[in-house]
Amino acid sequence: MSSIPQRKKKTVKVTRSYPTFPTLNAWEEFRGLLPVDGEPNPGVGLGVEEGLLCQMVHSPEFNLFPDSVVFESNFVQVKKDRKWINIYKASNTMALGVTSSVPCLPLPNILLMASVKWHQGQSQTWNRPSTAPHIILKRILPLKLVELQICDHLQRILRLRTVTEKIYYLRLHPDHPGTVFRFWIRLVQILQNGLSITTKDPRILVTHCLVPKNSYSPSGDSKLVQKKLQASQPSESLMQLMAKGESEALSQIFADLHQHNQFSSRSSKKTDTKKDSSEKDTPGEDCIPCTRDLSWRDSLTYGEWERENPSGPQPLSLLSTLAASTRPQLTPLIGNSI
Amino acid sequence: MTYAYLFKYIIIGDTGVGKSCLLLQFTDKRFQPVHDLTIGVEFGARMVNIDGKQIKLQIWDTAGQESFRSITRSYYRGAAGALLVYDITRRETFNHLTSWLEDARQHSSSNMVIMLIGNKSDLESRRDVKREEGEAFAREHGLIFMETSAKTACNVEEAFINTAKEIYRKIQQGLFDVHNEANGIKIGPQQCISTSVGPSASQRNSRDVGSNSGCC
Repeated sequence: MSSIPQRKKKTVKVTRSYPTFPTLNAWEEFRGLLPVDGEPNPGVGLGVEEGLLCQMVHSPEFNLFPDSVVFESNFVQVKKDRKWINIYKASNTMALGVTSSVPCLPLPNILLMASVKWHQGQSQTWNRPSTAPHIILKRILPLKLVELQICDHLQRILRLRTVTEKIYYLRLHPDHPGTVFRFWIRLVQILQNGLSITTKDPRILVTHCLVPKNSYSPSGDSKLVQKKLQASQPSESLMQLMAKGESEALSQIFADLHQHNQFSSRSSKKTDTKKDSSEKDTPGEDCIPCTRDLSWRDSLTYGEWERENPSGPQPLSLLSTLAASTRPQLTPLIGNSI
Repeated sequence: MTYAYLFKYIIIGDTGVGKSCLLLQFTDKRFQPVHDLTIGVEFGARMVNIDGKQIKLQIWDTAGQESFRSITRSYYRGAAGALLVYDITRRETFNHLTSWLEDARQHSSSNMVIMLIGNKSDLESRRDVKREEGEAFAREHGLIFMETSAKTACNVEEAFINTAKEIYRKIQQGLFDVHNEANGIKIGPQQCISTSVGPSASQRNSRDVGSNSGCC
């Protein structure tokens, strides 16, 4: 045992196969476009593919979703006072990524969240840091139980809301180029509207998200998305029919959630809390306290649709789609069109 | 930090029994009375020392709600240990143990060590499930049993560590194939298997059914 040399920490060689999808690079070539800056894979060059989060979940320690690509970025958790302010010190960031439990799915179905602690004064370059930061996988969420929205274009802030009303505001790390935020914008669009190839039936609202909409409208962006969605709303009866099964499941979740909230408020009154010591002790994992307004439960009257087990031939990967629709340099800002 | 082995644990049981609180108490040594409902998986990790070996516990805290049950099932694969938790003040959480156990047996390795935990032992005045009932259930199904309190930290360390001891004992006895990832055990990056698996099988320190550290 002692004869084996010390291995550098967190350097994991990732070797993966892409059984059904071309890589970003292949897709670019298919489109007759040159790779960015001579990088063999522009996704890697931009720090959205094969980053630290991907390396961690594919490492022997986790060995999760080994055949699926991970689209990821580095974020800073913020909250809004008069302006956006960082919650934690600069050395603590959050890695956010999406992937698929199996690579043949048309849409990603898994959200990954990890806390990252950088060394003092270390450049937080995402894909190739000089020294690996301390990264801890915090949670894996089914994407259908999460709602992603573009909260602030200029500040490059995402709003992440879970079905249990946990809300995070995440600012894309300044080290990422603007193209990366456009990828996230495209991802939000895909998760909300689906891909053109997901269904050809305009009456079917393709959405991957089971988190019902609420009245939140972040700086106008999602308002426009909502409008667009409403314009293509299918007939209510069809939607209700489709939604029935999932509505029942969700109703149960909400009933549990309601019960849990009641129980929590009871117990918080009864128990002697150690809240002082527990609050915000762990950087990167806590969310902004949010109101527990569950009124949106009542708004669950429209359908939801997801295709986790498609039977037909599978389309290009999400990442290819992202690249295709947000080609760096060539594609104009799509933010305004959301 | 280096380790000899990594054991994957999964925490299962009905919603509200205190799974996340147990994890938080074990990893951060703190109690949070108000906790968000878990969706998906939340992770925790901690190093423990068993028989002079550093062992990393990678703990998967799952959602207990019935609605997430099908999602939770997909996380059993590759778990070496499971903490099956019920709330001693809520009879129904005890009644559902059989169903959780069926899931665990069906979706995980047959060698997986299962620790049955009756949590919230600090709430003695509201007790709805007798300790003897927990012991009997554990005996009947071949589980280890402890009552714990995530609030007071009573027996929390013991529950996690005794599970690790039992897994380690099984490794020593050759019951776990440590090269098979499906068993939820990974050899540490610098470990040589011939030196990691000790020859002695007399290191059993884990407590048997009904034992506890006396604080509950």
